[in-house]
Amino acid sequence: MIQFVQALISGLTLGSIYALIALGYTMVYGIAKMLNFAHGDIIMIGAYSVIVTAATVGMPPVFAVLISILVCAVLGVTIEFLAYRPLRQSPPLTVLITAIGVSYLLQNVALLIFGSEQMSTPMMFDIPDLTIGGITVDGITLLTLGVTAVIMIALTLFINKTKVGKAMRAVSEDKEAAELMGISVNKTITITFAIGSALAAVASIFFGATYVYIKPTTGSMPGIKAFTAAVFGGIGSIPGAMLGGILLGVIEKLSMTYISTLWSDAIVFGVLVLVLVVKPSGLLGKAQREKV
Amino acid sequence: MKKIVSLLLSAAMLLGCMVLLGSCGAKEEWPVDENGLTELFIGGIGPLTGDYANYGVSVRNGAQIAVDEINAANPEGILGFKLVYEAQDSKGDPDSATSAYGKLMDEGMKVSLGATLSGETAAVTAAAKEDGLLVLTPSGSAVSAIADSDKAFRICFSDPAQGKASADYIAEYGLATKVAVFYGSDNDYCVGLYNTFKDECAVKGIEIVMVQAFTTSTNTDFSTQIDAIAASGAELVFLPIYAAEASSFLTQSKGKLDGMKLFGCDGLDGLLTKIDDPATANGVLMLTPFAADASDAKTQNFVKLYKEKYNTTPDQFAADGYDAIYTIVEAMKQAGLNSKDVEDFNARIIAAMTKITVNGVTGSMTWTPDGEPTKVPMAMEYKDGAAVLFDPTK
Amino acid sequence: MAMKENVKKSFNAKAFFTTDVITLLAVVVLYIVIAVLVYTGSASRQISNMLISISCYIVLAVSLNLVVGLLGELSLGHAGFMSVGLFTGCTIAVLLTDKLPMAVSLPLCMIIGGLAAALVGLIVGLPALRLKGDYLAIVTLACGEIIKNIITNLDIDGTPLNGALGLDSSSIRHSATDLLPFAVVLVLLTMIVMMNFKKSKHGRAIMAVRDNRIAAEATGINVTYYKLLVFVVAAFFAGAAGVLYGHTLPNIKPATFDYNMSIEILVIVVLGGMGNIGGSIIAAIILRALPEALRDFSDYRMLVYSILLIGIMLLNENKAFKAWKSQFSLVGWVKKLLKKKQTAETDAPAEDIPAVDASADGKEETK
Repeated sequence: MIQFVQALISGLTLGSIYALIALGYTMVYGIAKMLNFAHGDIIMIGAYSVIVTAATVGMPPVFAVLISILVCAVLGVTIEFLAYRPLRQSPPLTVLITAIGVSYLLQNVALLIFGSEQMSTPMMFDIPDLTIGGITVDGITLLTLGVTAVIMIALTLFINKTKVGKAMRAVSEDKEAAELMGISVNKTITITFAIGSALAAVASIFFGATYVYIKPTTGSMPGIKAFTAAVFGGIGSIPGAMLGGILLGVIEKLSMTYISTLWSDAIVFGVLVLVLVVKPSGLLGKAQREKV
Repeated sequence: MKKIVSLLLSAAMLLGCMVLLGSCGAKEEWPVDENGLTELFIGGIGPLTGDYANYGVSVRNGAQIAVDEINAANPEGILGFKLVYEAQDSKGDPDSATSAYGKLMDEGMKVSLGATLSGETAAVTAAAKEDGLLVLTPSGSAVSAIADSDKAFRICFSDPAQGKASADYIAEYGLATKVAVFYGSDNDYCVGLYNTFKDECAVKGIEIVMVQAFTTSTNTDFSTQIDAIAASGAELVFLPIYAAEASSFLTQSKGKLDGMKLFGCDGLDGLLTKIDDPATANGVLMLTPFAADASDAKTQNFVKLYKEKYNTTPDQFAADGYDAIYTIVEAMKQAGLNSKDVEDFNARIIAAMTKITVNGVTGSMTWTPDGEPTKVPMAMEYKDGAAVLFDPTK
Repeated sequence: MAMKENVKKSFNAKAFFTTDVITLLAVVVLYIVIAVLVYTGSASRQISNMLISISCYIVLAVSLNLVVGLLGELSLGHAGFMSVGLFTGCTIAVLLTDKLPMAVSLPLCMIIGGLAAALVGLIVGLPALRLKGDYLAIVTLACGEIIKNIITNLDIDGTPLNGALGLDSSSIRHSATDLLPFAVVLVLLTMIVMMNFKKSKHGRAIMAVRDNRIAAEATGINVTYYKLLVFVVAAFFAGAAGVLYGHTLPNIKPATFDYNMSIEILVIVVLGGMGNIGGSIIAAIILRALPEALRDFSDYRMLVYSILLIGIMLLNENKAFKAWKSQFSLVGWVKKLLKKKQTAETDAPAEDIPAVDASADGKEETK
C-alpha cells in the first residue's frame, strides 16, 4: 500500500509539471491553431532567467519570478511576431517546421550564452513537507498541483467569461469572420502567445524548484511529454491538458514501480495509443463531426 | 532573358561545385608555417553543440591546453613540428562525425583524436582504418569504439574494464555483499559497465538485490527508482552513470538512502561542478583514473592552466584530451619521427604505441596491441566539496 | 530537317519530358557527375563521406512524402520504420556475411528489412484508420518511441544485437565508394515507384481520400485499404533505406532513431513541398549538407543553421520569392526549351503548355 501511494505521489509530482506545461501548449493550440514546438524551450529560457536573476544577481524570489514571466511573455510575443505572423496564411505544417526551427534557435542561443554545463536553480521557496501516516508529500508538489488547478480554472473562466476570451474563441472558430466582426486577429493572437508564454514561465519556476538542474536542452523532453499530454487529454481542451498531464505522470510512475523501469517508455506510449484508438479525440476533446 | 539567367546560374553553381570539390587537392602534404616549422595536424571530433556538448568541449579544451603548452615550451618545434589542433562538431551523431572526419582529412589531418563518444568513435575508427591513420580516442570507452581496428587506441578505460574493476574493488575491500544498481538502460556507457559488473558480481559472490533503470525520456524524475532502492536493503548502490544524472539522483535521494554507500565510476567525474550543493555528494565513492585535486605537480599544473583559460575545473574528459596529445608526442619520439623524417609516418607511430609508457594526469599508461590502456584506477571519495583518495581500510 | 520531323513523329519530346522524367534525369545526371568525381578521387572526403547518408535521407523523405503529401496525414514515426528495417535487415546481413557476396546480400537484406518495416507499418497504420491530424501524429510518435524502447532492450546472444550497446555491424560496413551504386539504384527505384504510384489509380484514390474522405468513400473508394497501403509502402522504403544506412557505420545504436530524427525527415518533406518528389530531393540535399557547409562557423554552426531554417521557411512562403524562384526551375526551363523548339519546327499549336508551365515548380500543396 505504501509503495502504491509513494508511486502515486511521484506520479502526481511529475504529472503536475507535465500538466502545467501542457496548459500553455493547449492554450496556444486552441486559439492560434498551431503547435508551438518551441514551448518547451521557452520554459528553458524562463528557468535560466530565474537562475540569472535569483542566483547571479541575487534578487528576491518574487522579483525573479516576475522577471521570468515578463521575459517569457516578451519572448513569446516576439517569436510570434517575427516567425509565425508572416505564415498566418500558410499550411499548418509550414508553421510547425518554423516552430521547430525556433526551438533549435533558442537551444543554441542558450548553449552559447550559458554553456553546455548544467546549472542549478537556487532554492527560492521553502515549503514544509506534509507527512501523513508515514508518507511524505513534498511541499513543492502540493504547491505545483494547487497552482496548476488555479491556473486551469482561471484560464477557463478567462476564455469563457471575458471580452478578450470571447475574441479568442471567435478567432479560434474562424479568423476571417472574427476580423469582419471587428476583432483584431493579430492582437488577439499576440495576447494568446503572451499568456501561453507566461504560463511557460510559471512551469519553468516549478520545474526548476522540483528538479533543480537546467541545461540548454532541458525543455525539449518535457515539451514533447507535455504535447503528448495535451493530445491525450484532447488538444485545445484546458481541463483536458491538466487531466492528460497528471494521468501521463501517474501512468509513467506506476508502470515503473509495478512493471519495469526498462519498459516504462513502451508502456506509457502503449497506453496512450490504446486510449486514443478508443477515444480518437482525446479524453476530453470535442469529437469533430465531419461535414459532408 | 530568363533562359540566360538560368543558364548563368547553373554555370555559376557548377563552378561553385567544382571549386568546392576540387579544393582538397591543393593541400600540401606537410605544410610549413611562417616560422619554417612543419605543421603536425591533429584533428578531434566531438559534440560541441547539442545534448552532450559538455563532453566534447571538455576534450577539446584539454587537448588545446596540451597543444599550447607544448608549442610554447618548444619554440623550435617539438621534434621540429608545430602542433596544430582543430576540433570539429559532431552533435554526438556518428553520421556527422564521419563527414567531420572527411573534412579533417581534406585539411590534411595526420593523427586523429577519434571522437568523444563511443558511437561516433566507432564510425571514425572505421573510416580511418582505410586511411591507415592513428586513432587515439581520449574518451570513446565502449569496446566497439576501437575493437574493429588495430590502428585505434584509447586513453580512458574501456567500459567492461571499469565494471569489472568496480566489482573487484567492492569485493576486495568488503564494501558490501548486497548491492543495488541504478543505470541508464538506453545508454551504451551505462549498459557496458552494468553488464560486466553484473557478471563479475556473480563471480565474486556479491548479490545484486535491486536493479533500477531510466532512459533519456525519463531522466528528470528518479523518485520511484530511489524509493525502490531505499526499500531493497542494499548496502551499496552502484551508479554506472554520468555526473548530470548522478547529480539529479543525489539531490532527489537526499535523506532517503541513509546508510547506503554510493559507488560510481569515471562518469561521475565533474560531479562537484554540476551539483547544486557539494555537501550532497559527501561520501560518494568513485573509481577513476583522474582527480582534479590530486597533489602531484603534473595534475596541479594542468588544473591551474585549465582554470586560468576556461574558468572551470577540468573533468576527466579534459584530462583524457590532455593526455592524448602528450601520448602522440611520446609515440613520435619512440618511433624516431621528426619533421625531417616523416616517411611511413602512420605505420611507425602506430607501431610505437605499444612500446611507450606515458605518465599523464590520468596515471601511468601502457597500451596493449588491441588498443586498451593499462593503468590503475584510484578510488576517490567526495568530502566537503573535494574528491580525496579513499582509504578502504578505515 | 525532314529527317528530324520524322523522328519527331515517332518520338514526341513534349509528351516524353514530363516533370517526373526531367526530375529523374536530373538525379541521374547528378549521380553520374558525383560518381565520376568520387571514383576518380577528385571529390573531397567530406562530401564523399556524406553521399550515402544523404541518399538514405532522400529515400526517407520521398517515402514520408507519400504519407504527408499524398495522404495528408502527419507522421512523426518514420525513424521507427527505418530502425525496424535496419535492425532486421542488418542482423540478417551480418549473419550472411561470409555466405553471400555483398552484391547479393545487400539487396536481399534491403527487401527483408523493407518487408519487416512494412509489417510494422501495417500495425501502425491500423490506428490511422480511426485517428487523424495531431492525434495521429502523436500516435505515430508514440509508436516510434515504442519501437525504440523494444530494440533497446533486445539483447540476443548469438546475434549481433546487443541492446543499448547497439548492433555490431562492423563486418558489413562498407565505404561510400562500395555503396554508391546501391544507393543510386535505391534512390531511383524509390523515385520511379513513387512517381508511378502517385499517377496510378491508387495514387488518385489516395488523393481523393485526402481531399475529401466522405466523398471518396461515397464513390466506392476503399478508404481502409488505401490508408493502410500508404503506411505499408512508405514503411517499406524507409526500412530499405535503413538497411543501406546500416551498412555505412560499424555500430548502430537504437537510441539514434528517436522522434528527433523523424522530425528531421518531416522538415525535409515540408521544405521540399508536399507531394513534390523533386522538392524532397533538393531539400534533403540542402538540409543534410547545410550543417556540413557551415563547419567554418565552428561553435555558431547550429545557431546559423536554425536561423537559416527559419529564414528559408519564411522566404518559401513569400509570394515575390516564389515568383523569382520559379524562373530557375529546371523543369520549367526544359519545358520552355521544348516549347520553343516545337513552335519553331511544327505548326501544331502548343495548347497545353502554358498550364503546365504555371505549375512548373511542382508545388502541389494541400490546403
